[in-house]
Amino acid sequence: MLSRHVLKQVGSCPRAARRAFATEVSSSPASSENVAQSVRPKKSEKPRISTAVILNRSPILTKAPTPFETAFYSYQARIRRALSNPFPHDFYFKQGSLLQTRFNLEERQREKRAFGPSFLPTEDVDPEKAAADKAAVEQLAQQEGEGEELTSRTHKADLTNDVKSLDRKGQRNLYLLLLAEENGKDVWRFPQGGLEKGDLLHQAAQKDLFAECGEQMDTWIVGRNPIGVYKPKPASNEPQDHVFFFKGHIMAGQVHVDGQRVKDFAWLTKEEIGEKVDKDYWEVVSDILSDC
Amino acid sequence: MSLLHSARATPLRSCIAGVRHYAVKKPDQTSDPIRETLRRVLYPANVKNRASPVGTWRPDVARALQRAIPSVQAHDTIERAWLLHRRYLRKQREAELARKFERMREAMDELYKLDQTLYMEANRSDDPRAKSQQEMEMMKKMKMSEVRTLEARVPGLFPRELRIPTETPPRDGWNYEYKPFQRPL
Repeated sequence: MLSRHVLKQVGSCPRAARRAFATEVSSSPASSENVAQSVRPKKSEKPRISTAVILNRSPILTKAPTPFETAFYSYQARIRRALSNPFPHDFYFKQGSLLQTRFNLEERQREKRAFGPSFLPTEDVDPEKAAADKAAVEQLAQQEGEGEELTSRTHKADLTNDVKSLDRKGQRNLYLLLLAEENGKDVWRFPQGGLEKGDLLHQAAQKDLFAECGEQMDTWIVGRNPIGVYKPKPASNEPQDHVFFFKGHIMAGQVHVDGQRVKDFAWLTKEEIGEKVDKDYWEVVSDILSDC
Repeated sequence: MSLLHSARATPLRSCIAGVRHYAVKKPDQTSDPIRETLRRVLYPANVKNRASPVGTWRPDVARALQRAIPSVQAHDTIERAWLLHRRYLRKQREAELARKFERMREAMDELYKLDQTLYMEANRSDDPRAKSQQEMEMMKKMKMSEVRTLEARVPGLFPRELRIPTETPPRDGWNYEYKPFQRPL
């Protein structure tokens, strides 16, 4: 069932089975049945603990402000401009310098934008001088250069909707989801694995993550506490499974799946996970994931 | 008597209205434009009856405010809308945290019922300064630079590689070519 666990179970079961059936040979069939029956219910009562990791890629970009927020901020900026002191440009700039001219031109533009073009009194400046100033400022801008081009907020992965990319949806939280085979069916779930003997839960979570997703990632499990528990409905006579979720962060690298039991992976936002995952799994997991 | 005499003896102040005694320009000083500007900026006039670069509002403040604010009622409505918006965001955030915490509490309760030792271990907090046995053994075999990398990530604290969100993404994007470093569990 669980890759790391398989060997251990194979190792332990024959011994236990042999011990259970050892009494059959010596005693009568009736007593051996009783012994077998007494062994089986004890096994089904013992619950199974597994650990899973919800690997999160935190947002890379700050949230874009909503239209209401932008409008409010510009409204507040206008009020602040109306109430504040005029900037002492003759203190901060050398008198008559080109930078001062540039600043005054830009400041005039800003005032016009804030209060309207008819607000400022018309400057009684010589038109030739004004044109000369403007030309000089433009030349300065050319000399200073364009400046560095800022990287766009939408990445190529956003346009192609590449779910394997870690650059997609910079503003949102992305979570790792694996397409794995369980009981013959292909299900989308978080990386999961069993618990070895002597391991603590958070250590087992880290090991399971590396086992299912490869070691080519820089990950960090947050603390020792599980953040959620999933109890799937057990088939009759099967022990109750408990899957403890742990939160992890990925800082660098990428997932490499082996392709045998784990067939595919995707980095998805909360709503996209809701579309892919089983309903009872989603009931638990939806409370753990972040909306934004 | 002597005090009065000494007061009379000091020269009369030059006529800069509203400037403090220590900021007054001495008559024998040369007029340096930088000095004048500094003096004006550092010691603004007390009397504010005309525009000045520091210490007073812009002269057309009333007119500017009229342009900025549509009306008193509109301003109040905008304020209320903003507070409502902030309240909505705050309630959303608090509800999400409450849901997450509820799931954590549920998980810990289940763990308590299942396995006592695992529960006690999960509740213990890490000492950032303590080095585990595994760490000590790993450190013996490593080079000095690797030891520094190992010690850089302190258990129980956030790793420094967690990036703060920015306005624009990094030029090179996500680092897909990460060379793994073995760390103790």
